[in-house]
Amino acid sequence: MTPYLRALRLINFRNYADDTVLLKPGLNIVVGENAQGKTNLLEAIAFAVTGSSPRTPSDPEVVRWGADFARTEARIAVGGSGQERMVAVGYAPGQKKRLTVDGAPGPALSAYAAGGAGVRAVNFFPDDIRIVKGAPSDRREYLDDLLSILRPAYARAALDYAKAVQQRNQLLRRIRDGFSSERTLATWDRKVVDLGEQILRGRDEAMPVLDEHFASSLRALYGPEKAAVHYSHSAAPEDYAEALREAHDADIERGTTSVGPHRDDFEVSLGGVDLTTFGSQGQQRMATLALKFAARDHVRGVTGEDPILLFDDVMSELDGRRREFLAGYFLESTQAVISTTNLEYFDEEILRRAQVVRISGGAIMETTTDGVMERVAERHGSFRTA
Amino acid sequence: MATYARPVERLITELSKLPSIGPRSAQRIAFHIVRGKPDDAYGLAEALKEVKERIKPCRRCFNLTEAEECDICRDTRRDDAVICAVEDPYDIGPIERTGEYRGLYHVLGGALSPLDGIEPEDLRIAELVERIREEGTKEIVVATNPNTTGEATALFIAQEVADLPVRVTALASGLPVGGDLEYADEVTLGRAFAGRREL
Ligand SMILES: Nc1ncnc2c1ncn2[C@@H]1O[C@H](COP(=O)(O)OP(=O)(O)OP(=O)(O)O)[C@@H](O)[C@H]1O
Ligand SMILES: [Mg+2]
Ligand SMILES: [Zn+2]
Repeated sequence: MTPYLRALRLINFRNYADDTVLLKPGLNIVVGENAQGKTNLLEAIAFAVTGSSPRTPSDPEVVRWGADFARTEARIAVGGSGQERMVAVGYAPGQKKRLTVDGAPGPALSAYAAGGAGVRAVNFFPDDIRIVKGAPSDRREYLDDLLSILRPAYARAALDYAKAVQQRNQLLRRIRDGFSSERTLATWDRKVVDLGEQILRGRDEAMPVLDEHFASSLRALYGPEKAAVHYSHSAAPEDYAEALREAHDADIERGTTSVGPHRDDFEVSLGGVDLTTFGSQGQQRMATLALKFAARDHVRGVTGEDPILLFDDVMSELDGRRREFLAGYFLESTQAVISTTNLEYFDEEILRRAQVVRISGGAIMETTTDGVMERVAERHGSFRTA
Repeated sequence: MATYARPVERLITELSKLPSIGPRSAQRIAFHIVRGKPDDAYGLAEALKEVKERIKPCRRCFNLTEAEECDICRDTRRDDAVICAVEDPYDIGPIERTGEYRGLYHVLGGALSPLDGIEPEDLRIAELVERIREEGTKEIVVATNPNTTGEATALFIAQEVADLPVRVTALASGLPVGGDLEYADEVTLGRAFAGRREL
């Protein structure tokens, strides 16, 4: 059986002091008014299973104001027959993050995010619409994040590549300003090309698969028009080294590296129209969702396991027919946790099959399963800390 | 306004210039010294002074030594046809402890890094090339750190000696021995896979 998250304890995480949320396979709906902690809860789940926040690169932000550490503890159901894995992420500003799996020190962060925790996550936050609407860097980030949760070596190559490009850029400026000779430029070219090729290989392999998944997801979500994602190289892998060499003079003048995977982009199109430039708000939002579903399908294709889906405020701005489609999609997923301010978006039948988690002021108020409500506080005793 | 008497403040300031010692540890160490036996403190001061007066780089390999040449360079039993290039003198210890290497060393004094303003001229690369020419070195093992700057430095050295009749090798990045495969970190294991060999 595919792993899923059974429970999550949040300690000093954002506006949660110490609380535990219980989750089910299939659809979980987090409901609450504005500014109560819905987004924070989804962020905490991602933090627990990937080791970092998908919303901010700055870890201190997630620590509850006035507290000196944040911690999440997740119970993950792995395999049948009630087998569980307990993973915890502890962070105190100024200290190294502590990842533990069943009480023992966990793997490196990159490996933890790539399945080391026992389960992977694909998330959607409203701001993610920038993947379609925003800059090329937003689209590259989508690709890199996805490939990184599949292969720690890709995550490492992406980090090293960024460092090598930074070094090369600084060298270019030093050459331009007369502080360096061109002696080491070929060396940094080689380093950049070695690492850049690893990234290009990863992306080139994934793109056609993503294209197919994206097209079928958007067809289901939007309509029959042909949807596609198409990668455009600033330099094809086989011409990369040559292109970099040819760019020497121009690069020195500008002080930046003009070709390579850090300058690439992919086009998101619907019926031949570029959605980045011409898409309506709704089209862009749906294309973003379809990209997230494509990521889910790709993870499933590569690993044979479904990632858990964390979708924040996904129902708003969609019409009734599409909300219904999404609710069905999430219900059929191994596990989805979505948030909303409004339960009326869901019909009776769906609410009956889903787990509803009501939150208020950074606390879990109640969970409703099979239409039966239960105070969560009473269950705290059953949650053991390793 | 200083919180403590001037000599104590001075000690704290000096200590906090040391790597990986923050202001709080500096203060703790300073008070440890203030409270401790005079002989311990003089011993430390003496050791600091001695190290600065007596230790200098080996004129041949730039390892640290009290003499003109270091013990390794003067050891005639060592194979002088091989030179292992390392970034820092403290990289020599771990290699020596393997007992596997019997050649000489060359301390580069760091790694190429435009971001830190480190150029080939700031490293002892020219000295290395010169040594290879003069000593007729057959092989140079580049043992720089396995990170971006270390690897770039290795590539640069290979490029600089390309015209000389010397073989350039690098250490294999493999698995830690004695550990189970299960516990190897993914990147190391990934590299070991990429560098797999015929059996
Ligand atoms: N580090 C923190 N410590 C304490 N509170 C925080 C921290 N970070 C954010 N908050 C607060 O948590 C509250 C809840 O935020 P959250 O984004 O989860 O709300 P939400 O339920 O998703 O609301 P909306 O429906 O408006 O999206 C906000 O008022 C925010 O100011
Ligand atoms: Mg929100
Ligand atoms: Zn020497």
